[in-house]
Amino acid sequence: MLTRRNSIKAAAGVAAVASLGVASRAQAAQTVKVAIDASLTGADAASAARQVNGSILALMNANALNEVPGVTFTWEKFDDGTATAGQYDPAQGAINARKMVADPSIVAAVGPQMSGVGKAMSPILSAGHLITITPSSTNPDITNPEFASIYRPADNHAPVYFRTVTTDAYQGPNMANFFAETLKAKKIFILDDSGAYGVGIANAFEGQAKKKGIQVLGHEKLDPKNPDYTAVLTKIKSLEPDSMYYGGVTMAGAKLAKQSYQILPHINKGGGDGIMGSDFLTAGGFPAVEGWYCTIAGPHLVGTANKAVGTFMQQFITKFKTVPDDYSITGYDAAWVIVQAVKKLVEEKKPITRDNIRSTLLTITVDTLQGPVAFDANGDIKSHVVSVFQVREDKAKPLDDPNAQYAYIGEAPQA
Amino acid sequence: MSGLSLFVQQSINGLTLGAMYALLALGFTMVYGIMELINFAHFSVFMVGTFVALYTFEAFGIFGQSTILHGLPLIGVLLAAFIVTMVVCGGIGMSIERFFLRRLRAVKGPASMITTIGISYILSNSVLLFIGGQGFNFPNPIPPVRFHFGQAVMQVEQPLIWVVSAVLMLGLTYFVQATKLGKAMRATAQDPEAARMMGVDVDRVILTSFFLGSALAGAAAVIFGLYYEYTNFYIGFDAGLRAFTAAVLGGIGNVPGAMLGGLLIGIIETMTSQFISTNWAEVVIFSILVIVLVFRPAGLLGRVAPNKS
Repeated sequence: MLTRRNSIKAAAGVAAVASLGVASRAQAAQTVKVAIDASLTGADAASAARQVNGSILALMNANALNEVPGVTFTWEKFDDGTATAGQYDPAQGAINARKMVADPSIVAAVGPQMSGVGKAMSPILSAGHLITITPSSTNPDITNPEFASIYRPADNHAPVYFRTVTTDAYQGPNMANFFAETLKAKKIFILDDSGAYGVGIANAFEGQAKKKGIQVLGHEKLDPKNPDYTAVLTKIKSLEPDSMYYGGVTMAGAKLAKQSYQILPHINKGGGDGIMGSDFLTAGGFPAVEGWYCTIAGPHLVGTANKAVGTFMQQFITKFKTVPDDYSITGYDAAWVIVQAVKKLVEEKKPITRDNIRSTLLTITVDTLQGPVAFDANGDIKSHVVSVFQVREDKAKPLDDPNAQYAYIGEAPQA
Repeated sequence: MSGLSLFVQQSINGLTLGAMYALLALGFTMVYGIMELINFAHFSVFMVGTFVALYTFEAFGIFGQSTILHGLPLIGVLLAAFIVTMVVCGGIGMSIERFFLRRLRAVKGPASMITTIGISYILSNSVLLFIGGQGFNFPNPIPPVRFHFGQAVMQVEQPLIWVVSAVLMLGLTYFVQATKLGKAMRATAQDPEAARMMGVDVDRVILTSFFLGSALAGAAAVIFGLYYEYTNFYIGFDAGLRAFTAAVLGGIGNVPGAMLGGLLIGIIETMTSQFISTNWAEVVIFSILVIVLVFRPAGLLGRVAPNKS
C-alpha cells in the first residue's frame, strides 16, 4: 500500500535506489483505491446507481484484463444524498470529501454526480491533493480559472476537478441554439430549481437565448421542496410563451412536468441533463413527460453501432441487471481514465501518488468509450459535444428504460 | 389571458391549495386544543397517507394515469382509497398517542413535542428506507374533465377537493358541537381535571382527537395525491409547515380558525407567486403571520386552549 509519506519521499528524490526498490516490491501486489461519489439517496437515486455502476465496471474490467500489471483496483462508494435534503446534499459531499482525503489508500476519485456537491467537495479535495473526475456534474464555475481561489486554492491552483462531460457553458447555450434554430422559439420563460447546477445552466441558457433573439419573458426560481407550482405556471401561461426552459434536477423537475402538463400542455418544454434519466420518467410518468426536450453534456452512445459500447452494454446488463445510460458511459470513462493514468505511472516506474496522477492526467489522451478524452489546463474535457433528446413514449419498453423512452434528436448546434 | 381570467384562475388554484392546508391544519389544531401539544408527527402521517393511498389505488390495478374509470367503479375506488387511507392514518395517529405520548403526558416541558419531531423523522426515514427516496407517480383514475370560465380552466379534481374538504370540515364541526364525545372533547379542552371528575374518559377523548386529526390528514393525503399526481418521502414537511402556520394564523385550537387560516395561506401563496415572485411566497406568508400575531396574539379567530389554572 502506498502512503503519503513514501510518496513525498519519492518525489523529493531521497535515496533514489532505495525508493525504486520499494516501488518494485510494491508492484508485486499493489492495490489502488478509487473513491466513487454520487447521490445514491433521494430523488436521483436510479441515475446515480447507473453512473456509479459504470465506474465500477471499468475498475472490474481493469482487474479482469490485468490492464495494469501488478496493480489491483479497489473502490469505495460514497453517498452524498441525504434524507433531510431528499436529494443531493452539499454538506454530506463535504463530509465525504474529508473522508476521502483522510484515507491514504485513496489515490483518485470519481464523482460527484451533482454540481452542488462538486462545489462543496472541490476545495477540500484541492487541499488534500486528491483529484476527482466527474462523469456528470456540469457547472462551469468549479473549473473556471476565475474562481480558482475558491474551488482549487491549494497547490498553486492546480486543477483538481476533471470531467468526462462538457460544462453548462456549452450545455445551456447549445440548447438555446437548438430552441432558436430548430424549434424556432420566439418567446420563452425560464425556470430553475435554485440549486448550483440549475441556476448555472438556466443563466447560461438565458444569455445565449437573448443573443439568438429569443424574447425572455421572465426567469423564476422554484423551491424544489414545495409541492405546488400551479401559481407560477398560471402566471407563465398568462404571458403566452411558446417555450419553457427548466434548469434543474428531478426533484422539482418531475412536479414541474406534472403540473405544466395540466396548465401549459402545448408549448415546447426543455431542460438539461438534470431531467435526463429514469427518475424523471417514473416520477413524472406519461403523458406528463411526453415531448420534453433534454440534453446530455456529451455524445450519445448507448444503443449505437459502436462495437466497444455494445460490449460495455452487454457487460453492464449482465452484472447489474439494468440498462446503462449515457452517463454510465461517462462514469465508465472517468474510472478508465484513472486506470490509464495509473498504467502510465507504472510504465514510467513512478510511484502511484495523488500528485503524480494529476500531472499525468494533464498530459495524456485516453481512448475511452466516447472516443479520445483529453483535458485542458483547468480539468475540462476538450470536446464540447451536447446531445439533444426528446421524451417519446415507447409503450413496448419498460417505463424506466431511458434508452427507449428518450429519442435521440441530434447534436445541439455549437455556440 | 385577460386580467379577470387570470385572477379567477389564480383564485381557483389558491382555494384548492388552501383547502388542502385547511384539512391538514385541523389535525394540528384539534390536538393542540385538547393537549396544548404541537404534534409535528402530523407532517409525516400525512406523507405516509399519500403512500397508503398510492398502494390502495395500485391494489385496484390503477397505475399512473393509464387507467381512467367512470361512474360507479370510479366512486367505489375513490371511496375505498379515502376509507383505507383515513383509517390507516387514524390508526397511526392513535398508536403515536397510545404508545409514546400517553407515557409522557405527566412530564412537564417540551419532552412530548420533541418526541413528535422524532416520530416524524422516524416515519419519513422509514419510508425512505423501505419504499425509496425517488419521486412516485401517483395514480389518478379520474377522467381529465376541464371546465372553462373565460380563459380560466378548472380541473375536475379542484371542485372535488373543495367538496371533500367542506364535507369533512362540516362533519367535524358537527361532531365536536353536537355529539356526546364531541362535548367530552370540549370539556377536556377546557379543563381535563374537571372533565375527569365529571366522568369523562379523558384517555379516550385524547385518543379520539388523534384519530380524527390523523384521519383528516389521510383525507388530505388522498386529495393531494390526486391533484398533484406525485409523492415523495419529504412531501409532508413543506405542506405540513404551512398547515401548521395556518392553524396558528387562524387561532390554534380553534377549528373554524384552522379552516380560515388554511384558505388564507393558500390564496396568499398563490397571489404572491402571481404578483411578486414564487420565491417570495414564504417571506410573505410568514410576514403576514408575524404581523397578525403582533396585533392579535391569539390568531384571527382567537385561541382555544386548556385552562391550566
